[in-house]
Amino acid sequence: MPPKSSSSKEKDLTDEDEVLQAVILADSFNKRFKPLTSGKPRCLLPVCNATLLDWTFESLALAGVQEIFVVCRSYPELVKAAIRDSKWSKPSLGLKIVSIITSKETFTPGDAMRDIYTRGIITSDFVLVMGDLVSNIRIDEVVRVHKERRRTNKDAIMTMVVKPSGVVHRTRSKGESAIFVLDAETSECLHYEHVTGYPPKKHAKIPREILAEHPEIEIRNDLIDCGIDVCSVEVPSLFQDNFDYGDIRRDFVHGVLTSDLLMKSIHCYVAREGYAARVADTRSYDSVSKDILARWTFPLVPDDNHPGGHSYEHIRGNKYLAKGNSVVLSRTCKVGSNCLIGAGTHIADNANIQASVIGQRCTIEANVTLRNVYVFDDAHIGAGSVIEYSIVGSNVKVGEGSTVARGCLIGDDVILGKNAKLGEFERVSRRRDEGEADESDKEDEDEQSEDSELEEAEARQDSESITAIIGEGSNAIVWPKGPRADEEDLDEVERYNNQRLMRIEIPIGDPASDLPLEYEGTESDSDASERESDESDLEMHALSRISSATSTSAISTSTPGLNIHTLHDAAAYSEFQAEVTQSLDRAFAEGHSVDNAAVELKTLRMASNVPLRKVREAVVASIVERIEVVEGDAAAQRREISKMVGRWGPLIDKIGGVDPVETIEVLQYHCAKSARLPLFGQILAALYQDDIVEEDDIRAWHARPEAKGEGLKDTSFAENVKRCWLVGTKMIEQFNEQESSEEESGEEDSDEEEQPSKKPAAATAQAAVGKKEESSEEESSSGDDESGEDDSQDSEDDAPATKAATAAPSQPSKPASTPASTKESEEEESEGSEEEESEDDALAPSQPAASKPSASSTTPAVSAAPSAPPPVPAAHAPALVSSTAAPAQPSTQDEESSEEESESEASDKEPAQTAQSQAPPAVASSKQPVTAPSKAESEESEGSEDSEEEEESEDDAASRATEPVPQAQVSTPKASTETARPPATITTQTESVATIPAAVPRPRPGPDVVGGKQNPVVASGSGQVASEGATTSRATTATATSSVATTQHSLRGQSAQERDDDGGEGEESGDDSGETDEEGNTDDSEEE
Amino acid sequence: MSADLHGSQRAVETLVSKLRRRQVVGSREAALETVLVLRQVVSKARFSNIDQLISLIRSVGKRLVEAQPKEHSVGNTVRKLLHHIREEYNTAMTGNASSSKTVYSISNFVLQGQPRKQNVAPKSEATLTLKENDPDDPDSFARVLKPVLMEAIQDVLDELETVYDNISKNAKDHIHSDEIILTIGHSKTVETFLKVAAHHRSFTVIVAETGPSYNGHEMARALSSAGISSFLVPDSSIYAIMSRVNKVIIGAHAILANGGMFAITGSLLAANAARVHSTPVVVCAGQFKLTPLWNLYHDFGALDFADPSSVLGFEEGNLVDKVDVLNPYYDYVGPELVDVFITNDGDHPPSSVYRLIKETYDDDDHEL
Repeated sequence: MPPKSSSSKEKDLTDEDEVLQAVILADSFNKRFKPLTSGKPRCLLPVCNATLLDWTFESLALAGVQEIFVVCRSYPELVKAAIRDSKWSKPSLGLKIVSIITSKETFTPGDAMRDIYTRGIITSDFVLVMGDLVSNIRIDEVVRVHKERRRTNKDAIMTMVVKPSGVVHRTRSKGESAIFVLDAETSECLHYEHVTGYPPKKHAKIPREILAEHPEIEIRNDLIDCGIDVCSVEVPSLFQDNFDYGDIRRDFVHGVLTSDLLMKSIHCYVAREGYAARVADTRSYDSVSKDILARWTFPLVPDDNHPGGHSYEHIRGNKYLAKGNSVVLSRTCKVGSNCLIGAGTHIADNANIQASVIGQRCTIEANVTLRNVYVFDDAHIGAGSVIEYSIVGSNVKVGEGSTVARGCLIGDDVILGKNAKLGEFERVSRRRDEGEADESDKEDEDEQSEDSELEEAEARQDSESITAIIGEGSNAIVWPKGPRADEEDLDEVERYNNQRLMRIEIPIGDPASDLPLEYEGTESDSDASERESDESDLEMHALSRISSATSTSAISTSTPGLNIHTLHDAAAYSEFQAEVTQSLDRAFAEGHSVDNAAVELKTLRMASNVPLRKVREAVVASIVERIEVVEGDAAAQRREISKMVGRWGPLIDKIGGVDPVETIEVLQYHCAKSARLPLFGQILAALYQDDIVEEDDIRAWHARPEAKGEGLKDTSFAENVKRCWLVGTKMIEQFNEQESSEEESGEEDSDEEEQPSKKPAAATAQAAVGKKEESSEEESSSGDDESGEDDSQDSEDDAPATKAATAAPSQPSKPASTPASTKESEEEESEGSEEEESEDDALAPSQPAASKPSASSTTPAVSAAPSAPPPVPAAHAPALVSSTAAPAQPSTQDEESSEEESESEASDKEPAQTAQSQAPPAVASSKQPVTAPSKAESEESEGSEDSEEEEESEDDAASRATEPVPQAQVSTPKASTETARPPATITTQTESVATIPAAVPRPRPGPDVVGGKQNPVVASGSGQVASEGATTSRATTATATSSVATTQHSLRGQSAQERDDDGGEGEESGDDSGETDEEGNTDDSEEE
Repeated sequence: MSADLHGSQRAVETLVSKLRRRQVVGSREAALETVLVLRQVVSKARFSNIDQLISLIRSVGKRLVEAQPKEHSVGNTVRKLLHHIREEYNTAMTGNASSSKTVYSISNFVLQGQPRKQNVAPKSEATLTLKENDPDDPDSFARVLKPVLMEAIQDVLDELETVYDNISKNAKDHIHSDEIILTIGHSKTVETFLKVAAHHRSFTVIVAETGPSYNGHEMARALSSAGISSFLVPDSSIYAIMSRVNKVIIGAHAILANGGMFAITGSLLAANAARVHSTPVVVCAGQFKLTPLWNLYHDFGALDFADPSSVLGFEEGNLVDKVDVLNPYYDYVGPELVDVFITNDGDHPPSSVYRLIKETYDDDDHEL
């Protein structure tokens, strides 16, 4: 006999003396089989004349499962009776089957899991399957592997069984599949991406951390998800903890894999041998039946181990006839290959049956043609009928001469009249008697929804055309076709267009098939933003702060595509919205810290699985609505706003991703709908003042079509949007005015444009808008500028400045020296006024401000570069500078994303500062890219300018003391910075800095960072280095940018030059990050 | 009683499902399991006359055979047991155990007359006082007979356990020095046979790969690790090589009454090639493979079609839908292609297999 199995494994299992438990979720939780499933649960549908439940039991029994819990929801009595009457409940089989009836409120597998948890029936690792499984996989082997893994790794909570199938496979659902990202060595599932057939998914996005942490990964789009999960005991409790997990794959697996709190891992078992598939829809019903007839499920084949206990004879051409001579085949009938004919069936003359399954006791009359038809028990097909690609329920009577086109489902007990003509994809069921309907309503409130659908169907049964379809004397009703009315409420997978891919059908590729369908729309952006947020979450928790590269890509992908379309889903998110509002209310009322509130929001977001934008909308809305409207007192109103924004504004950037442009847009749209429309300008100004948004962002927002309210139909709403936009216009005008009116402001502008993290600008801008109170009080707008600058400089001029100065002279051409000195003088001046602030910075434990020094110090280099590029190393500098300064959105966002971490940290550490004043320096400091904490950056930035990073950094470290310090005041800040930066850090930073120049010379066409979405590729060995490198470089870029900005700032009048530079920046900043991989090593060597 | 019966019933059911699920694989393994289950059944059974016992065993046997009709050794073992039980019963009742044990051979079987009279050496002594249907003590019959029956069952078990050795004991008479032997598949019987022969002779074995299961690989490995010079060749070159082969030695899955047999896929190819070259085809098989059926080759399904995955990968999604793959596990090799069967009960030509079967089983048991 074929050595199909080895019993040794089984012995191993029993040795452990643990009862292997299995849970069958015997409910489909969807309606794909309607109307076949009106009146009985899906798991009792026959596949090859054995119920699905039998197949599932057999699959489990094959694996040596000893205890099975069957969770039933709909028609529990039928399920229980079926189990009781089946061979499975015989004690001699040694199988303990317990049926569990869950409440009607169980709408998802997640609910069922929670129910299981509450019942506490699970005592050890168990097998979780759906009640529609057909499998001959050695699940016990999977269990063994799982347990072995658990012995070493307690966090491996689940093992999913997947089967390689190739991308195109009849058994692989087109409507519902998934991309698995696996670690090639451990088979750990690193990422799970659900794929729907409609809208077609063209891209998969893979968090970059995965590439960083795993030297070799497999990204697989050829796996059938067998729906067999070996779960640990804690899995049900995880469902309990996360009340919103619905689907096991999309919610649970995705949730666990993306969670930054759980730290659990999920593995895959790639089954090379054996067969397993779910009968999840009518199409897979078709393909699984065919697989069974083609013996893929051996030994679970009709002639060998038929789960229903029938015995069939296998004859040439994979035909199966029931044994015992009960099948009556006419001499002239034709039974083609891949057919199964149940006991007691009569097939009359000239009937032609191809690739079909006929139930027991059916009658097929003369001249009938059946192609790819599944006929359940006791059906009667009238003479001359033609049926193809359809499923015919039990006890159906099809009248003579009927035609049933492909894709039809005929419910149980339907009688079709003579010459009925069912079109493609019709669904018909039996019309219920009045009394019966009432009765069923009473006894089964669960079927309510179905009933409503039925009634709807019943309601439209009068027309003549219907009679033409179902024939005279029929008791059938025709179900509505096309999308349902409540389509919007449905899961993406369950929507009509996607379901079309799941219907029994002519195989795709067949010329007769009208699939694949065309799809006009684009992929939903919500996905992108959602993913982005997930990534950035992960990031924030990544201990090595280097990991931020991913968010860049994510953000850059999502930004351009962001639009209002997500508003459509508003209804779906209303619940979430309510939750957020509550949570925020609590936070406001009880005065939670911003961080706590942020954590809460994050949890909520993940729980409800909503895109980041929704969270942002909710947060912005809550904040705005919290602002008290003070009538008639502009100043008081302003105070009110700045108080609120000052306290809660930072929350906006902490919800998991930073996207100021979106923030503005969200704010705009909210205001347009809200009574606080007039406050839009002031709020925006307050946000600006608090550096939650930058001038750049405002401009970017302003330039977007959405901001102008284009494409909005609702007139009043559109008008309001427009008004907001006009406010923005005014603000920008003011920005521009400032530029032109003042010498210095010109540079500021350019700074601001190019650089999102510019703080000093904030002061000016606010003043300009007329909303900033403090700054205006203190100084004129020009004064503000300077003070702003100074602040930033103050905090850093210490070491970096010095170095810059020193470094510059050291270069052969020494072009930098002059500008540097001028700048220094400026700094000195300004410092006087800003001493306080600089001190604040210094005091702040983390010295976030440390990075700033670059700003001031960088100046010389930049100025030098354009004027007279120093020999080799310096040559890179200009390029770099320009790149970093780029106004191009992607790059700026990169920085921000990387900075968001830093912000959070910074804010933690400097509560005092923020409280004290919104003084630009404080904010500025907080903006620094955290990771290689700010200290590093200052050096990096210098490095970039000087282009001799190593030298410099070494210089810095070594010579800092020796170097002459130009500014007297510097001493204080410097001291602090120095303490904060032990020499060790310096060296590490040096490395990262070094990457930059190396990167610049080789520009790359498809930079990772900018085009982040386009590189989901297999990353092998170098992956880790690569991404790390990328991250570092990005951090560097960020710093560099800020420094450059400052530089420009101080280099008044050079704006023209800078603009030139801007041109190239976008790409180059991308290059940097992309290139860095190879550089990592080089740097080290250089350093030494 | 019910508890006992329950226990044996459960053992039967377990074996049934194992057979159905192909968790018990291989004819010897299946035969062994069957004997063990039957021993349990007999030891637990309560009966007051022989008919009850026979019908009980037959019903169990039927159940097992129906569970896996393609594992013929199950049915054979049941039949053999029934035969033994009848013998014991007859001996015990009549008390005239003929102790004349003659060895069957082709030369003398005609003289032997009815094989039925030729008894296996009875375990029971004539002194047993057997009383059927004793109304006073219904269990007495069982009590007296059971020990004898258990011994008989033990005999069957022993025979199964020593089958390889018994087949191999004449190995050196079949293989001569420097011969080139061709074999196919991985039959334990053949493997032992060759290994034993290798103690006395030096010869060369050519092993065909035996796709799609590629059992030949294991066979070649096993043989060469025993120091036999072995070649592994693709199935396609069997015919080309045949001219140099002195003997084809293959195993069997089941030997049918007509002298034909089921053997692993590829055997038919080898046997036909051998026939063309008039190379002798020697089949090594235990007696338990003798199956009192002869027309199975009409039965398409008897070839035991396995899943197509070893022929066409499941991941060939495009093809899976369009290609029907037949992957029979066995070939039917007709009697005209086989020269001799080497069993643990002597060597026999295909034409005398029916005789062996008649000796081994009772006619009443052909249909369980």
